[in-house]
Amino acid sequence: MCLFLFFSIASEHFLASRNLLLVLRQMSMLTIISLGFTFVMAAGGFDMSIAGAIGLVNIVFALTLAATGSILLAVLVALLVGMLIGSINGFLVAYVGLPDFIGTFAMGSILYGVKMLATRGNPVFIDDPSRAFLFIGQGHVGPIPFPVILMFFFVAVAVFVLGKTQLGRRVYAIGGNSVAAMYAGINVKKYRLLTFVISGLSVALASVILTSRLGSGQPLAGGDFLLDAIAVVFLSTSMFGEGEPTALGAFVGALIISIMNNGLTMLNVPYYFQHITKGGIVIAAVLLSTLLGQKLRIKF
Amino acid sequence: MRMTPVVSVTDLGKEFDGVWVLQNVDFNVYPGEIHALVGENGAGKSTLIKILAGIHQPSSGQVYVEGHKVSLDNPKQSEELGIRTVHQEINLIPFFSVAENIFLGHEPKNGRFGIKTLNGKAMREGARDVLRRLGITLDVNTPAHSLDASMERVVELGRVLIYSPKVIIFDEPTTSLGEHERKQLLAVISDLRKTGLGIVYVSHNLDEALAISDRITVFRDGRKVDTLTRQEATLQKIISLMVGAKGFQGCTTARSMPVGEPCLEVNRLFSQKLRDVSFKLSRGEILGIAGAVGAGKSEVGNAIFGLDAFRGEIKVFGNLYQPHPTRSVRQSIAFVPEERQKQGLFLNMPVRANLTIAHLDRWAKFGCIDHEKEVELTSEYISKLRIKTTGHKQLIRFLSGGNQQKVILARWLAGDFQVGIFDEPTRGVDLQTREEIYSIMHQLSNQGKSILLLSSYVPELIATCHRILVMRNGAICGEFCPTEDNVQEKIMAKMLGGEQSLEDSLAQSH
Repeated sequence: MCLFLFFSIASEHFLASRNLLLVLRQMSMLTIISLGFTFVMAAGGFDMSIAGAIGLVNIVFALTLAATGSILLAVLVALLVGMLIGSINGFLVAYVGLPDFIGTFAMGSILYGVKMLATRGNPVFIDDPSRAFLFIGQGHVGPIPFPVILMFFFVAVAVFVLGKTQLGRRVYAIGGNSVAAMYAGINVKKYRLLTFVISGLSVALASVILTSRLGSGQPLAGGDFLLDAIAVVFLSTSMFGEGEPTALGAFVGALIISIMNNGLTMLNVPYYFQHITKGGIVIAAVLLSTLLGQKLRIKF
Repeated sequence: MRMTPVVSVTDLGKEFDGVWVLQNVDFNVYPGEIHALVGENGAGKSTLIKILAGIHQPSSGQVYVEGHKVSLDNPKQSEELGIRTVHQEINLIPFFSVAENIFLGHEPKNGRFGIKTLNGKAMREGARDVLRRLGITLDVNTPAHSLDASMERVVELGRVLIYSPKVIIFDEPTTSLGEHERKQLLAVISDLRKTGLGIVYVSHNLDEALAISDRITVFRDGRKVDTLTRQEATLQKIISLMVGAKGFQGCTTARSMPVGEPCLEVNRLFSQKLRDVSFKLSRGEILGIAGAVGAGKSEVGNAIFGLDAFRGEIKVFGNLYQPHPTRSVRQSIAFVPEERQKQGLFLNMPVRANLTIAHLDRWAKFGCIDHEKEVELTSEYISKLRIKTTGHKQLIRFLSGGNQQKVILARWLAGDFQVGIFDEPTRGVDLQTREEIYSIMHQLSNQGKSILLLSSYVPELIATCHRILVMRNGAICGEFCPTEDNVQEKIMAKMLGGEQSLEDSLAQSH
């Protein structure tokens, strides 16, 4: 709120409805990624492979589309690759027993390497992009950008799944006390793996939107998303309730980060300064929640 | 030998929230003496040593060190007066050497040129000196991770000895040691009295107490019952003091043993901790397993529920069963774990979620939780079990221990289980709730449910069970009917003692 007011006053363009829609469109990918991340964090896990995954899916999606011309097939392949990445993450962490940070970090590095090998560092151009492909990231329904509609849809889905279903309850139970979850008969490993699959799926979805917005496969795309998503989830965790990440919190967190990015850009603050503010936000959020006596459940 | 005691306490008492956990205790230890404290869980021995260590402050009474009145306001003060504790847990740094571990936090330093550097030579010599005093031959450069369990404890002891204490308190030092290592450590402790130290030795193992101590003080219900000299003390005598005059002389109300078909069969179970455990649990039976801490009873429960790996055979309702927690719940097996906070509760969740977590699918449609049904069910159990809470929305962490335990019981009652494994279900629970839990167990038994009750509290087993097995060192070593004469003494003798060889083998090692 304060941010919103601050930027409204500081920049005359900020409040323009065009700019607000722009903020929503910019934040759509981050929100979707953060929703998946929220599942992982709710189960007490962590996913460091986001940046690598989004980059690889971007390339795979572009390559499939360029080769076949079928948008449906390309989206399907992209989502499958995302789920596969999530499954491997989940397998390494939940079944092999690697610490989350190490398993997913290594995975992110592998994904980055695979992407670079596949493209040799060159962009993948899509000749004659179809309207359907461009619509995903650039289209509008009435005045509202299509990615924004997607975002709201998935926020609603995540709010419902985390809040109202067995899956959500069990995921929070595992995050709250994984030992007690086991003693209550919950298949802890299976559900932890599932949260990583959900994270992989949401990353793939965001990557599809990203590809459409870029109109191509860019080997360097996706780099910022990990830090942004971490900032979002920490904000979400420290702002709401019992120190647990929530879907709504992810939305609000992404909104804050995006307003910050947008507002700072409008004020002509150098781009790299945004990294400094985001880092600061993560530290502030964690400090705040520690001061409030809530424990962020992160396993190193 | 009668000189001034190194430490003595008179009329010591400790009160927590209006409950006196320790009352009118007189106790002392002389230089060169090993004085053992024995008693059941909650008898007051831990409270006494915590007061001596400065962790708790006494509510009444006095502590004297070498005849001088002292007040022990914090652990540091107690340490400065020469009272040190060797704890049950091992806190060594694996890649540090024996010498470095012994001097951790108290390293000898060279202070020349204004720069402090570690004096490795002094450290190694100091460590050698300490080990020599203990009569141990061990290279002080050995890294801690390559030590066996008894040597780890020796290093812990060395850590304490470098401060030249007057009194050392050993808190269950032999827990989780193998037989050979245990004897080795006991020999070390036994030799320690030659150095003129006063030694307070706390153990639930009566054999050990008998084998190494000069005097034994028995606690019961927060009071000192008696102090026996080595000559007076026998296993039988100690147990009867621990049990007291009002000890259970068998159960008066005859309990007819249900003759249902067996619903749980355990055949020749082996694991890291278990040795050849077999038993059958019939429909409607409450079968008790008595055992001290570390006897292996929790491991039996864990194996059946699918939490620990094992070799052997488990049958549920006559069918071979490959345990896994998720399958166990589907097979209508309930598990009330020993450590409520760690293994049972979701502290950041409300009462409702804690109650329904194990059987969510029963009140969910297509994966969605039916909120109304969930609330209804929770409210039903809140009133049925008289759970004291402001409502289903209250976070469980704000409930008392007894009420938390009732929620965990309700978790399984709601799932309509057939076989219940209850591991220390009344630990840390108030008396009234305790009685309520017993009556719930009887009702369940009458409804044909079977219960495996794992407990170290013998009166509770006698009051509730149809049959009682006794475990020790991972094996079943006896079976009793709760209506036998002097059954409590008999069970405790099996649980805590009866290993004649220990004393002899210690004598040999001297």
